[in-house]
Order: sequence, then structure tokens, then C-alpha cells
Amino acid sequence: MKKLTQILLISLPLLTVSFASDAHDPKLHAKKAEKANCAPLQKMKNENKKMDMTDPVMIAMTKKCEKQAQSKEMKHMEHKGEHSEQAKHEKMIHKKVEHKKMKEKKKDDGHKH
Amino acid sequence: MKTIKILLYLGLIGLVGASLFIYSGLFSIGADTPHSKPVYWILEQTRERSIERASADIEVPSLEDPSLLLSGGADYNDMCSSCHLRPGQRESDMSVGLYPPPPNLAIDHTEDHDHGDKSATARKRFWVIKHGIKASGMPAWGITHDEERIWAMVAFLEKLPELTPEQYQIITARD
Repeated sequence: MKKLTQILLISLPLLTVSFASDAHDPKLHAKKAEKANCAPLQKMKNENKKMDMTDPVMIAMTKKCEKQAQSKEMKHMEHKGEHSEQAKHEKMIHKKVEHKKMKEKKKDDGHKH
Repeated sequence: MKTIKILLYLGLIGLVGASLFIYSGLFSIGADTPHSKPVYWILEQTRERSIERASADIEVPSLEDPSLLLSGGADYNDMCSSCHLRPGQRESDMSVGLYPPPPNLAIDHTEDHDHGDKSATARKRFWVIKHGIKASGMPAWGITHDEERIWAMVAFLEKLPELTPEQYQIITARD
């Protein structure tokens, strides 16, 4: 009984600490996060071409928006790829069905003769 | 000898009086009842001096890397902005309801507290974020966050007063 109490006394705080260290993983925040609205940045760049591109704030914003554009493009490409794969698959099935129909038709014609 | 005796009696009377006051429950602990000016001054001085002393030996790393703004900004938005506000925001339920009221970090305070000494402000901020402040609502983020993430938040805080709401939105958004 004493040992069980000791084990509980040691393991409970350890468990609490290990759960707590996971509590603020940036990935957990990402689920409810909103995306960066990069339209104003483009507007700022277009309106004021003399903007200081060595300013850390400007560099950080550009980095963020470029990253977002890249991941958007990647997703688009993936989606396009999936779409064309699906179209290929559907085409193949369609061809097979057509082929089967032709075969059956030929068979029927042969029987009639 | 007589003076010592009188002082001892006075001390004892003070101790008994303080104990009676504590146990009577007469002190209003509600956050909507402000401290009297002397109590506020004592608490403020205690806090400021404690932070100054505890953070004196902290070495401030270079906070110029723009990627620090991205990681620190996202963390600030998730963990701090509800109390310490964001550009263009004047108050929130938390900033109004907490006592003492949390400082609006979207406004530059460096001149008021550290006479423009950015390094002193940075190490104090690092210490406060890491260790928190007792009975103020400020948590000790160092228990669940490593020092790298805390320094990133300090780097972001340096730039926060200069940001427009649009810039803030872009920098603090998570991927």
C-alpha cells in the first residue's frame, strides 16, 4: 500500500509535467489559426515602390506571404494531379465497359447468324 | 533598554493587529476594488525592483533575425494579445477586468520605464514572460515554452508598437 502511494506520488506529477510540455505546441494553435491576408502587402508594395526591403518587418511579411503562396500552389498542383489521376481511372473503366459491350454485341451477332 | 521594550511591544501589537485584520476578512480581495495609493505604490515598487534585480545578469541575444518575428508574433497573438492587446485595439474584456490592468504592449513603453534602454527592456520582458508575476494574472510561460520561443516573443514585442493592424495580421498568422 505504501509503495502504491509512493508510485502515485511520483508518477502523477511526472504525467502532469509531460502533458503540460505538449500544451503549447505551435501545431495545436494552427488548427484554429487564420491565414495571413497578403493582399494588403501586395498593395503596399505596388503603392510605395521605395519601401525599405531590409526592414525586418518587411522581410518577415514577405517570407510569410511567399511561404503561403508556395503551399497554396503545391495544394493546387496536388489537387490537379489527383484530378487527372481520377480522370485517367474513369477513362480506363469507361474503355473496359465499352470493350465488354462490343464483345457482347459481336457474340450476339454471331449467334444470330 | 526601555526603548527596546517599547519597540518590542509595538511590534507585537502590530503583529496581533495585522493577524486580526487578515482573519477578519475585512480586506476586499475583489479585482474591481482598487488598492489604496500607498498599497499600490508598495506593490509596484516591490514588483519593479524584483524584476530589475532578477533580470540584471541576463544576456540579450541578437533579436534582429526576421524569422523571430514570425514565431514570436504567432505566439504573442495566441497567448498574450487577449490581455496585452494588438495594434488598433484599445481594450478587451481581459485588459479591463484584470487588476492591476495589464500594460498595452502595442504602445511603446521603453521611454517611460527604461529611459530608452532597449536592452534593459528586453531582458526584463524575457524574465517576466519566463517566470510570470505572482497574483497578477501573468503566467510563467517558461514552464511550457523553451527560451528560444520566449526570446522570439521579446523580439516581436520590440517591433509591435510600430506595426499597423494589417502588418500585425500577416506576421501573427500561423501557417
